[in-house]
Amino acid sequence: MTAPLDVTRAATEAQPEAGLAGLEARAVEGRSLWRIAWLRLRRDKVAMAGGVVVLLLILMAVVAPLLVRLLGHPPNEFHQNLIDPTLQVPKGRWGGITWEFPLGVEPQNGRDLFSRIVYGARISLLVAFLATVLAVVLGTTFGVIAGYFGGWVDTVISRVMDVFLAFPLLLFAIALAGVVPDRAFGLSGDKLRIALLIFIIGFFSWPYIGRIIRGQTLSLREREFVDASRSLGARGSYIIGRELLPNLAAPILVYSTLLVPTNILFEAALSFLGVGVRPPTPTWGGMLSDAVRWYTIAPYFVIVPGIAIFVTVLSFNLFGDGLRDALDPRAR
Amino acid sequence: MVAFIIRRLIAAVLLLLIVTFVTFSIFFLVPRLAGASAEDLASRYVGRTAGEEQIHEVAEKLGFSDPFPVQYGRFVKGLVAGADYSTGPTTEYCPAPCFGYSFVTYNPVFPELLDRLPVTLSLALGAAVLWLLAGVGTGVISAVRKGSFFDRAAMTIALAGVSLPVFFTGLLSLSIFSYKLGWTAPGGSYTPLQENPAAWAYDLLLPWITLAFLYAALYARLTRAGMLETMHEDYIRSARAKGLRERTVVLKHGLRSTLTPILTIFGLDLGLLLGEAVLTESTFSLPGIGKYAVDAILTNDLPKVLGVTLVAAFFIIIANLVVDVLYAVVDPRVRLA
Amino acid sequence: MKRRPGAITAAAGTTLVLTLALAACGGGDDETSTGGGGSVAEYNAGVGKIFNPSDVKGGTLRMANAGDWDSLDPADNYYGYEWTFNRFYTRQLVTWAAAPGADSLKLVPDLAESLGQASADAKTWTYKLRKGIKFEDGTPVTSKDVKYGVERSLDKDVFVNGPTYFNDFLDLQGYKSPYKDPSPDKLGLKAIETPDDQTIIFHLIKPFGGFDYFAQLAATTPVPRAKDTGIKYKEHVVATGPYMFESNQLGKRFVLVRNPNWDQSTDPIRKPMLDRIEVALNVNAEDIDNRLLSGDLDMDVVGTGLQPATQGRVLGNPDLKKNADSASQLRLWYTSVNPDVAPLDNIHCRKAILYATDHTGYQNAWGGPAGGDIATNMLPPQIPGAQKFDLYNFESKPAGDLDSAKKELADCGQPNGFATNMSYRAERPKEKATAESLQQALAKAGIKLTLKPYPQGDYFSLYAGKPDYAKKNGLGLMTNGWGADWPDGFGFISQITDSRTIRASGGNYNLSVKLPEVDKLLDDAQQQTDNAAREKIWPQVDRKVMENALVLPGVWAKTLLYRPPNLTNVYVHDGLGGYYDYVSIGVKK
Repeated sequence: MTAPLDVTRAATEAQPEAGLAGLEARAVEGRSLWRIAWLRLRRDKVAMAGGVVVLLLILMAVVAPLLVRLLGHPPNEFHQNLIDPTLQVPKGRWGGITWEFPLGVEPQNGRDLFSRIVYGARISLLVAFLATVLAVVLGTTFGVIAGYFGGWVDTVISRVMDVFLAFPLLLFAIALAGVVPDRAFGLSGDKLRIALLIFIIGFFSWPYIGRIIRGQTLSLREREFVDASRSLGARGSYIIGRELLPNLAAPILVYSTLLVPTNILFEAALSFLGVGVRPPTPTWGGMLSDAVRWYTIAPYFVIVPGIAIFVTVLSFNLFGDGLRDALDPRAR
Repeated sequence: MVAFIIRRLIAAVLLLLIVTFVTFSIFFLVPRLAGASAEDLASRYVGRTAGEEQIHEVAEKLGFSDPFPVQYGRFVKGLVAGADYSTGPTTEYCPAPCFGYSFVTYNPVFPELLDRLPVTLSLALGAAVLWLLAGVGTGVISAVRKGSFFDRAAMTIALAGVSLPVFFTGLLSLSIFSYKLGWTAPGGSYTPLQENPAAWAYDLLLPWITLAFLYAALYARLTRAGMLETMHEDYIRSARAKGLRERTVVLKHGLRSTLTPILTIFGLDLGLLLGEAVLTESTFSLPGIGKYAVDAILTNDLPKVLGVTLVAAFFIIIANLVVDVLYAVVDPRVRLA
Repeated sequence: MKRRPGAITAAAGTTLVLTLALAACGGGDDETSTGGGGSVAEYNAGVGKIFNPSDVKGGTLRMANAGDWDSLDPADNYYGYEWTFNRFYTRQLVTWAAAPGADSLKLVPDLAESLGQASADAKTWTYKLRKGIKFEDGTPVTSKDVKYGVERSLDKDVFVNGPTYFNDFLDLQGYKSPYKDPSPDKLGLKAIETPDDQTIIFHLIKPFGGFDYFAQLAATTPVPRAKDTGIKYKEHVVATGPYMFESNQLGKRFVLVRNPNWDQSTDPIRKPMLDRIEVALNVNAEDIDNRLLSGDLDMDVVGTGLQPATQGRVLGNPDLKKNADSASQLRLWYTSVNPDVAPLDNIHCRKAILYATDHTGYQNAWGGPAGGDIATNMLPPQIPGAQKFDLYNFESKPAGDLDSAKKELADCGQPNGFATNMSYRAERPKEKATAESLQQALAKAGIKLTLKPYPQGDYFSLYAGKPDYAKKNGLGLMTNGWGADWPDGFGFISQITDSRTIRASGGNYNLSVKLPEVDKLLDDAQQQTDNAAREKIWPQVDRKVMENALVLPGVWAKTLLYRPPNLTNVYVHDGLGGYYDYVSIGVKK
């Protein structure tokens, strides 16, 4: 797990007023914030490109079984006849790329790389998305509550967040994944491992979002419109639901989009270290882990999943950046 | 101010205790909850031809047969007051803090941790200096020359750096730079600083650069964004109007205020890195606490994993504490609860 | 839908294979006599002969281990490579000759003057120690030190890893451990007598004709009681061999240097050339390979050979291939066929599996021909007395004999096949590949396999090795592997075919063989003190198990060892299990 979110977290925490002033103004104006943001986003070619790639990837993951049936072979099926028995590498050039095997085959067993990448996308994206959703839901809930109510509620929640942030994340994830047996909580096999991954990643990354949202809430609640609502007799839940959340929607959206690639990398790291989904189910991180030792005589085997991860993460980052620029009133 | 620090210190100690408790519970409780018996647990740590009796004895020796509170109590007592262990013919005293003995090698964990800590520290601190300089430097230049070729190229490379998994770049660079070209040291090399500083730096060069590349990318983006915001502040305009040189304006005035939030993130990242060195150390086979933990997890050697988790949490908490205090010192408006 | 590979790829593949075949033919001239070797580096120059024989002393050997030792304490180690390495710093009552090829399968006296003298009933064995053998500090080695060494190895509380042959065969009479021994000199074990400083007598509880094989175990290493610190002894093992520990940083590295108190005149076996041995621990496996090839490292001490990718690189490059040796490891990779799980309780269903297996696929899972030879029965051919036989057309139909398989299926009442589960160790890519290959191959006969990976740490203790678990979870096929503790029928076949070793509590390696005839044959063999007669019994056991199709043999393992050209006196030692005999190696300056 690399550093936490690539966001101007400190900038927004230190100068929450400045960042939110523009947003607040637009909130009063109504829905035109989103319209303006969308227009700005459309003009940002790079971000749109990222967005398109993201959509394509999601599409590919969703229709994976169909794609594989049409264009590829079952992801776990061996094709020994394509492998040179002494060298254990594919016989063909470029790692055995042919019309039948658009991305070539794996060394040693001849599995179709195209199918494995496509199926791997499913798991990577599924885990990353659901983990992000979990993190965002938890983070927003606790962040808003802590920020709005303040006092001892805030203290308790902040301390809890501190505890979570104090855990060495990757280490803990590895250890936890190793400790849970094969059959637990009514699930088993792949489903259990995926659920476990989602839970671990989501459950340990919520404090990052929590802190940010808390900071935003803290400054938002001092705004005049919140005072106005309160003086009109609005209750806490109303203020949270109708005044604060819509204003938080923008940062929530941005940070979610930026959290997804971090989680993709996290899942890849866990698979790489061997504690993700078990073989032979393909995952990008697992494929990289297998591929690394073949680097000198079968380099494409490392490059294919590496590029897959790279392109996915890059697209999310580009789109997220564009989104943030579009939603931030002070950007040029 | 002092009261604030004391309060945070107490909080830090409590935090450490909570982390201990949670970690311990997970490792020792979860298998039980999943239905494994003490003997099942013990059978992992016996030789290939062990009989039932031997498994039972090992279960007793490692304490699996005791109820959870007893095991935890024993662990805490060891941490605080030390513990006695039988070596066969004699008994040995393991001084506080005693993280217990490895289930597999029966070596005491804490001395091994201390032994490996300098490696992780070397890796983290060296990379940190590199990435701070490179990242902030690049960010400043990019911000000042916004829109130029340098800016675009730097930000693209930075984005690439953030989007690649560190084990991928690490392994690829090892293959190319160490093995194919022979420019940098092969994996697994580490010379302690006191033995030979030049060799120490040479051995760590590639890991530093790989790690720094990733973080520098982040910091370049952060600095650039921060600088862009700051450079449009009024006081920058006044500084320029006063006739100060551009370089002074940028560095002395612009960078200074951008630096504060960046330094706070830096502190947090450093703390995290000490706990997260796992991937880099595994990639480069460096004998630090990260690799120690991964090796331990693969052999189910729980005392070692417990030890590393605690040390890592310790660093993270300390880093958080330092950052909070610095934040409070620098910005009088902030008095965190 | 099966599609043919393109013509171009086929041509490329054939050309490649032909080129390699030519290269292999051109390089080897292993028909020359064994014993003498050349100094020309060529493929398999260290197999059956000595590569680069030399008398030049001096130099440092740099070794690395991808993991860590069980323990450097000879009472607590159990891997072939550890026993091979023990020859540097320890001596046992008897040991393997330091020679290549068939000579390496002979036991020769080490601490003792001659091999053991047996009583008529093979229950009492006597050895006389040589005079003049000393520990590294100059104190003389006596039979009492050997007895103490064996005694402490009995304590499985403190030393969990070592083998239990002495625990099982000595007439212990309740003796537990010298650490719980009430007698003042801690030598209270009556099963071992030491009437004088040079004589040692072992009393067994059941006869065992091959006791010399026990005498070569690391447990007979003498240990001075005054220096015994129990579990901490491994920090500095007191040496009796030509080298001793200069430094030992547990888990990181250790260094051996010459032992001034080792006397060549008392040791006709070892000819130590090196001045110094440095071993680094916990080094990344790929790094080890890369450093071997680049010359930064001299030897991978674990001796399981190059990683699959590096293998390909070495075999494909004639300049590298000439530094490689394809060593037989005296190990069988196989799959247990579990008769507890229906319908495998019917012998015909089991035979169907053996017929339908794709043996080339199995071999490819282990790295192709470089990974091993297709095994047609259990005993590896190097084991004295082993006979090769092929009951199920493994060699004539290496891709599988589907017709016979279908016939057997009909015979067992499952003409359309059946379904069962197969277990393998998740962390072992070759076992994964084996399982997947079997899944593909058996599917052609209608036998549907569901693959179940398990963590290797618990594989034998909790899952495949626990009879109740295996039965309850329908594990009909279980990947397995076995390397003999020593190259002899007993060491190889008894642990995996004796039904009486099967424990309900788990930890079993015999996952499928429960035949009373086999048990009786094994008992007969144990009583037999005549080596030749004993050797005739093992192939009978092999045949019985194969006739009952309780084991599906995969490959007799080979591994590709790398032999840097600057080393001298390198040869593969079959007796030790297919490792290089480290103690003989020297370094060219």
